[in-house]
Order: sequence, then C-alpha cells, then structure tokens
Amino acid sequence: MDLSVPPDITFVVLTAITLVAAIMALQAKELIYGAISLAVSFIGIAGFFVSLDAPYLAMLQIAVYVGAVVVLILFTIMLVSREEVDKDLTGETGESAAGLWLAGLLAVSIAGIAALAGPNLPSTAPVGNLPISQLGPVLAGSYPVPLLILALLLSGALLGALVLAKVDR
Amino acid sequence: MPTLVSYIIVSAALLGVGIYGLSVKRNAIRILFAVELIVNAANLNFVAFARYMNPPTVSGQVIVFYSIAAAAMEAAVGLALILVAFRLNSTIDLRKLNKLKG
Repeated sequence: MDLSVPPDITFVVLTAITLVAAIMALQAKELIYGAISLAVSFIGIAGFFVSLDAPYLAMLQIAVYVGAVVVLILFTIMLVSREEVDKDLTGETGESAAGLWLAGLLAVSIAGIAALAGPNLPSTAPVGNLPISQLGPVLAGSYPVPLLILALLLSGALLGALVLAKVDR
Repeated sequence: MPTLVSYIIVSAALLGVGIYGLSVKRNAIRILFAVELIVNAANLNFVAFARYMNPPTVSGQVIVFYSIAAAAMEAAVGLALILVAFRLNSTIDLRKLNKLKG
C-alpha cells in the first residue's frame, strides 16, 4: 500500500466516514437522506477493502451496493407515500434506551474480546500482496458448486421479486 | 498498516449501530438499512482476517463475493415485500403489520 498520507490517518478517516454515515443512515429525519448516508457508509467500507489489498471487492462493493442496492432503496422510497416513509423513526424512549444498551454492550464486548486477544492476533499484515488474478481460480476452481448455487439463488430471487411486486389487473 | 484488532473494533462498532437500528426502529425500510450495515460489518471482518493470515489468502474475499451477491438478492426481495406490505396495508410501520397475531 503506497499512499502519500500515512496509513493510520487513512484508517481514522475511513472509520469516521463509515461510522458517522451509518449512524446518519439510521437517524436522519428524512429517509431519502438516510439512504444517501447509507451509500456513503458503503463507500467507506469499499475504502477499507482497498486498504486491505482487495481492490476487486471494493469495485464490487461500489457497483453492487452503491449502484444497485441503494438505487433500489431510493426507488422503493419514492413508491411508498411520503408521510408513511418519514414517520415513526423510533419506538418509545424507554425502548430506544434499551436498544442503545443492547447494541453498546454487544459492540463493547466484541471489541473487548478482540483487544484481550490482541497479543495473540497478528499485529502487522504479512508482506506480499494478493494479486487479483488469484481470485478467479479460487472462485471457479475451489468453490464451483457454491457459484452455481448462487446463480440459481439469484435467478430465483429475481423471479420471486418480480412475482411479489407484480400488480394483478 | 493498522493492526487486525483495529479492524475488528471498527467492525464491532458497525455491528452495534446495526443492532441498535434493528431493535429500535419501526420503519421497515430502516430495518433493511440496519441489516445491510450488519452484513457489511461481517464482510469487513472476513476480508481483514484473510489479509492478516500468514501467508495472506483470497478465501475471505471469495466468501465476501458470495455475501455481496446474497445481500443484493436479499435487498431486492425485501424491498419487494415492503412494497407488497405497503400496498395491502398502506403502512410500513412494523408495529402495525401484525395481522398474523392471533
């Protein structure tokens, strides 16, 4: 990884972008801004993929998540009536606090376990990068059956979505 | 390059945001946002662990490849379901979609 800025600053900036955009996606007053924040969060994750020597996945992340999923969400928001989309962001305040405790405890405990195991985890990535050309043989050579099942699953899901959304006249 | 632990902490934080949305929100589309965030947290972990293996492996990236395809599919079906639910009940408030309750 050869970036002009030191890598740690890249990491901090990516973390800030991803997490702030994720919180905005859930808390934005209007759902359409939430969807756009979600796209920003996905772009932050794509940045993490680039920093982890996975440029192909970063490209896929932007093409599929930002290009397809978020656009699909935007279309759905436009098809659902506006009053319905923007109301009832959260439950009662007690519920909201309980959810915050649940999420905080879960995240802190996972992070704590990781930090405790820290000395046993590798602190520096092994040298040597992963060429994209390795991905194809592993994808189609080592895991051919999951690939075929995925293709069937995708066509089944596409048909299912069509059948669900079709309007009978 | 940051340590593996820092990637795990970012991923745990993203998971926490997703769980918060999943447990508190009532708007069906926002629940879908939360699910996508959780899937992304898992993907980040897969890629980070595979990169820090010695020697680094692409297997984690292959799993994330499948995961991204499955998540896109899930979003398509989920949004179609939300559209149908809205058409039938003219609401997407999950507390009001309780027709299956006896």
